[in-house]
Amino acid sequence: MSEGKILPEIITPSNKEVIVVGEQLNGEIRPVTLELLGAGRDLASKLGGSLSCVLLGHKLEKLPQKLISYGADIVYVADDSILENYQTLPYRRVIVDFLSGFTLPPHIVLLGSTTCGRDLAPRIAAHFETGLTADCTELDIGPYEHTNKIDPEKVGLYPNCLYAIRPSFGESLKARILGPWKNPQMATVRPGIMLPLKPDENHKGEIKTIPVDLKPEDYRAELIEVVHEVSKSVNLTEADVIVAGGFGLGKQDGFELIKELASCFENVAIGASRKVVDIGWIPYPYQIGQTGKSVRPKVYIACGISGAIQHRVGMSKSGLIIAINKDPEAPIFKFAHHGIVGDLYQIIPELIKQFKSNIVKEEKPLVRQN
Amino acid sequence: MTQSSLKDIFVLIKQVPDQSAKAGINPDGTIDRAKAKRMLNPFDRYALQAALHTKKHYGGKVTAITMGPPAALEIILEALEHGVDCGYILSDKRLAASDTLATAYALHKVIKYIGHFDLIFCGLQTTDGDTAQVGPQIAERLSLPQTTYCEDFRIEENKVIAKRVVEGGYEWVKMEIPALITVANSYHHLEYKSFRGARMVQHLLRNEEEKNKYIKTITLDTIGAEPAKCGLRGSPTIVARTDKVSEIGGSCKIHQGASQEQLVSEIIQSTNIKEFLKL
Ligand SMILES: Cc1cc2nc3c(=O)[nH]c(=O)nc-3n(C[C@H](O)[C@H](O)[C@H](O)COP(=O)(O)OP(=O)(O)OC[C@H]3O[C@@H](n4cnc5c(N)ncnc54)[C@H](O)[C@@H]3O)c2cc1C
Repeated sequence: MSEGKILPEIITPSNKEVIVVGEQLNGEIRPVTLELLGAGRDLASKLGGSLSCVLLGHKLEKLPQKLISYGADIVYVADDSILENYQTLPYRRVIVDFLSGFTLPPHIVLLGSTTCGRDLAPRIAAHFETGLTADCTELDIGPYEHTNKIDPEKVGLYPNCLYAIRPSFGESLKARILGPWKNPQMATVRPGIMLPLKPDENHKGEIKTIPVDLKPEDYRAELIEVVHEVSKSVNLTEADVIVAGGFGLGKQDGFELIKELASCFENVAIGASRKVVDIGWIPYPYQIGQTGKSVRPKVYIACGISGAIQHRVGMSKSGLIIAINKDPEAPIFKFAHHGIVGDLYQIIPELIKQFKSNIVKEEKPLVRQN
Repeated sequence: MTQSSLKDIFVLIKQVPDQSAKAGINPDGTIDRAKAKRMLNPFDRYALQAALHTKKHYGGKVTAITMGPPAALEIILEALEHGVDCGYILSDKRLAASDTLATAYALHKVIKYIGHFDLIFCGLQTTDGDTAQVGPQIAERLSLPQTTYCEDFRIEENKVIAKRVVEGGYEWVKMEIPALITVANSYHHLEYKSFRGARMVQHLLRNEEEKNKYIKTITLDTIGAEPAKCGLRGSPTIVARTDKVSEIGGSCKIHQGASQEQLVSEIIQSTNIKEFLKL
């Protein structure tokens, strides 16, 4: 603080509401929405405000009620056939109209850092000329003392800022980003990180319908085909060890080798990069990364995976990352803990061989103990 | 099917610090931009390729646009070497510390200033910001339809049909022109520099007057942007604090150059992996 003076407290007008922009697909709420309600509940109680969720879609039926059981005090619903699948312009219109309808703006608006959330959030933020932080991994509420004199009218103590915390510079830094000068303060949040609340059927909430009032210019883009594979669960999120294969396997059969390596471990699962899912070598539920699953096993063995940012965000929190790649320049070697430069078709069989002899030599007790 | 033809294709590119080079990376992990090695944002290479593909198949002139310090000329020249026709550099001290909203404001003013366009291509995100926000924020300012995470596209009957990567699959979106596209890094790699482009750049570097015809350096005044909406003042967000994340980044132990028996036994010796083996 400058010259020991007390900064004036500045309260940016808001109705203290925390709003989660929900996502649904094929009659199900996307997990990230429930996670955001979990995180939003905490922010709302720190602010002393309410938590709400706005859900767009078609034939939503029981979904709003489900959002209430996961913590929403109010669910705003827009139900219309044009909203069945996410589309930028219609969704943008409904959300912009909805947020414009408040006398005092909501305090915080959160979206999932999904391909929809990251498409929509910047449009909303630019429309209202308000701050937006991308791909957050932590959120909090706290005060901020702004002393930078470049903009004298902004100097002051802001009591209830959204702390939007995110990795930056290739995940080597964590940045705390603030924008308390205008509400709503917005953030997109990485899926798979926040914890949903336990559903409570007794939690009371209100369901309110909001208008869908599209303009001719909202029809300038049309969704002509949707190819979504519904994710069935594979126990990736609970495994201690994940052996993941990428395009470096060279052929679908390569996954046989991945399975063989996996069979050496206890509580193990198989994972994959998007590229091999896209070409059909392995189904989508095995995909790890931004548009797949976020995992955090104790050991992650990446075989023939280059380490693209979208893969990395889904696995970089793993305890021990071992990468096998024949290209010493592959980006995965920037964030793996151990890397073997070599052909996976030579390295993996050798690993299996040594693991097996290890098991025989060292781990074989005379009497099996549990 | 009528043959589509385009006139003006814009591609937005950015110069970023090269994070693989050690120069200019402070011990606390932040970047000293003056000292850091500079490079074209790797994600923008896909946007450049998409713009050049479009020109090849549907005609038109490709204009590369960047915002940054004067050194950003380097990436405009690089774009020209790849076959881009001309470039604009928005360079102004009042842009310092712009967040995504302020950046998108300034860039949309550049676009309006240049005038007519059919398609705008942006990289998916930058390696120094990772936000993926500027593209859609420009689309909002210009009231355009957009396709983000675009991996493939074609133009038919004056509409763009774009493939968008989403969770668990794809979507195909048909958009009216003009429109904005952010290009995924699963799009085609940028091809080699063209001989013509390289010659052109050599020529421009020898002839200042010619250079100024193809590459225009402009300021906020040129484009009529409000300084209050740019830079730190125009940015609704600030980075209040950064902390180094110690567990990841730059600490990989590389095992190479030995027999595979040796490499594998090194891994087994130097990690706790054995604890997870099946008994
Ligand atoms: C919006 C969007 C979302 C995405 N979401 C995801 C996601 O959720 N998950 C994801 O994984 N990707 C995702 N991607 C794709 C991502 O950008 C990459 O394209 C993908 O991760 C690359 O997969 P890969 O590493 O298997 O293939 P490549 O990048 O082709 O890498 C193959 C690697 O194998 C190595 N190699 C080749 N042969 C051998 C050998 N014999 N032995 C050892 N190494 C070898 C090569 O050196 C190379 O590094 C997404 C992309 C977009 C645009």
